[in-house]
Amino acid sequence: MAPDSYNPVNHRAVEVLVSKLRRRQVIGSREAALETVRVLRQVVSKARFSNIDQLVNLIRSVGKRLVEAQPKGNTVRKILHHIREEYNTAINGVASTSSKPVFSISNFVLQGQPRKQSVALKSEGSMTLKENDPDDPDSFARGLKPVLMEAIQDVLDELETVYDTVSKNAKDHIHSDEIILTIGYSKTVEAFLKAAAHSRNYTVIVAETGPSYSGHEMARALSSAGISTFLVPDSSIYAIMSRVNKVILGAHAILANGGMFAITGSLLAATAARVHSTPVAVCAGQFKLTPLWNLYHEFGALDFADPSSVLGFEEGNLVDKVDVMNPYYDYVGPELVDVFITNDGDHPPSSVYRLIKETYDDDDHEL
Amino acid sequence: MSGTDSAPSLDFDICAAYRRILEDKEISPPLAAILSLTELMINSKAGTMFELVQALNDGAKNLKKRTPNPISLNAGCELFIAFVTLFPHESDSFGGLKTELVKQGQRYAAEALSYRDKIAELALGFIKDDSVILTHSYSRVVMKALLHAHKTKRISVYVTEARPRGLGLKTHAALTAAGIPCTVVLDSAVAYVMDQVDFVLVGSEAVVESGGLINAVGSNQMAIVAKAANKPFFALAESYKFHRLFPLSQYDLPTHNPNILSFPSLPAQSDAAHGTQPGASPGVSSLAIDGNPPSNKESPSFAHRTMTPEQIARNPDVDYTSFFGRRHPHTRGKSESPDSSRLMLKNFRINRA
Repeated sequence: MAPDSYNPVNHRAVEVLVSKLRRRQVIGSREAALETVRVLRQVVSKARFSNIDQLVNLIRSVGKRLVEAQPKGNTVRKILHHIREEYNTAINGVASTSSKPVFSISNFVLQGQPRKQSVALKSEGSMTLKENDPDDPDSFARGLKPVLMEAIQDVLDELETVYDTVSKNAKDHIHSDEIILTIGYSKTVEAFLKAAAHSRNYTVIVAETGPSYSGHEMARALSSAGISTFLVPDSSIYAIMSRVNKVILGAHAILANGGMFAITGSLLAATAARVHSTPVAVCAGQFKLTPLWNLYHEFGALDFADPSSVLGFEEGNLVDKVDVMNPYYDYVGPELVDVFITNDGDHPPSSVYRLIKETYDDDDHEL
Repeated sequence: MSGTDSAPSLDFDICAAYRRILEDKEISPPLAAILSLTELMINSKAGTMFELVQALNDGAKNLKKRTPNPISLNAGCELFIAFVTLFPHESDSFGGLKTELVKQGQRYAAEALSYRDKIAELALGFIKDDSVILTHSYSRVVMKALLHAHKTKRISVYVTEARPRGLGLKTHAALTAAGIPCTVVLDSAVAYVMDQVDFVLVGSEAVVESGGLINAVGSNQMAIVAKAANKPFFALAESYKFHRLFPLSQYDLPTHNPNILSFPSLPAQSDAAHGTQPGASPGVSSLAIDGNPPSNKESPSFAHRTMTPEQIARNPDVDYTSFFGRRHPHTRGKSESPDSSRLMLKNFRINRA
């Protein structure tokens, strides 16, 4: 069932992405998502399948490999969701009578569940899809593929424009003469702040975000865009919080309970903001929604970065005597976040579960 | 209207059917309600949809009136009646439609029995190895989840005694029999054990529209303590327990009865105290006045630490010692839940007595 038995080319593309992910050569979750969509597009275009289950299994097995490399399968889940949706509209177009779901009490209970109505019916019922055709096993794939490619292209387009759509409403969130605190270097936050700067005159305080010091890069990017920017050490976040009007954070992943993983230091900033009742907004593309829970991770995502940035090897005699830990992400709980600003609108943490239900199929939570 | 509608409820006793169905320990009140409504439908002579829905509504009302705790039962009734109302009419005859609806109801009840296993499977992800769990009273779905988790993970469980009915002891017995280390703690010791616990796991009587949970008395304080101690509080609920109810306070539940919380007025000087008390809000004093007649009777014995026969008669479940001595086997046959929410209020009584 592995993809390699189908097509060695896919195998190679998948393999390349897996190794890139492992070596952190793909920086940023949007890049990772884009790469994943591209690889999946290749896989689908080359795949040979005669029914939908074969295709789903194929994509799942690719997804599993990618998830092993970097534990985020959102893009794969989303594509599976789109594929099923397209398949269902295609099938229903052909045999419209059997389309109605069985009316039973258990389905009736589920009816309350949020489901996006199939957005745009791209596939017209004109083609005849026949699964498991013994004479021509490829006919199913031939019929379905153009629609699927279109669906994947949509996902790709969404990802490519995600920064613009997230920052579309930036000026509603940032007002003139406000002081904004941010931490780390998030491309989404950068785009958001820059978009707000077109119509508002405000100040940004960037925490330098040790030990990666990605705040330096952020400060540089913002000040070069003409935004008045201060760079402060992480240790003064609490002290300056009383002056801050709003905290804007980026996210690595948004979890089903409304919490999130974000760069280390985010928890510090969010907790300090809570003490001062300062609003915390999180900017993130919808592709960061993950149908997972933070189940007992002492450190966010169990992802650790290179300890040498905390204690360098030049301190040779200390290295054996000290355990150095450099967790890469913080887990920020839902109670610390006020709003998630996504390309799909603004949402409070309490409605994240709903977005997740709309975006992914329940079957795909475990890849 | 009443000619055909009340007829079925006369020769068919829906409450008897409900109680008979509940004797099966696996069946919870909402499912029993659905099943007894299907039985009502079989026995009903309704010839039109309007009559049928009317008969079902009457049956549900009847059932609600005669059951001490109608909350979860109501969830089942509402679900089934809404389903019947919206069911597409595809059969040729009305009789065919009725049989189809009955079949749907029975099929759902049968299917719903597997929901607890599904929940147990889903809950597994939230139970980490070596965890200490606090649970409250007895809940079938929590038992399923714990026993299922026990197959793959090391867990130990604290269970509250859950007065007045002491169902925590039932949980303790079942878990110990299955080889899960389990200790009973006092209801008043919830805050005391909370620091030792990884998370709290409870079942539910109903889930309401506000997202709140209705469960056996003591769950609320447990949730508050868990919140204060920053411990996760998980509730397991089958999907048929969702209920269209929006309670704004403890006293908005249909099971509330002002007598339960009324103050016994002390002889003579209490009246004077009432008159001069500036802080008593109108609502509170009216409750007290409502409760006056029965409380007067019990006031002489108020100084004693034991309950008077009248008090026991008013709150049959409360007398814990007699419950264990004599009434336990009888009560055990019933489902644990029927009046758990009322107990929430009764419990105050026991503290005062």
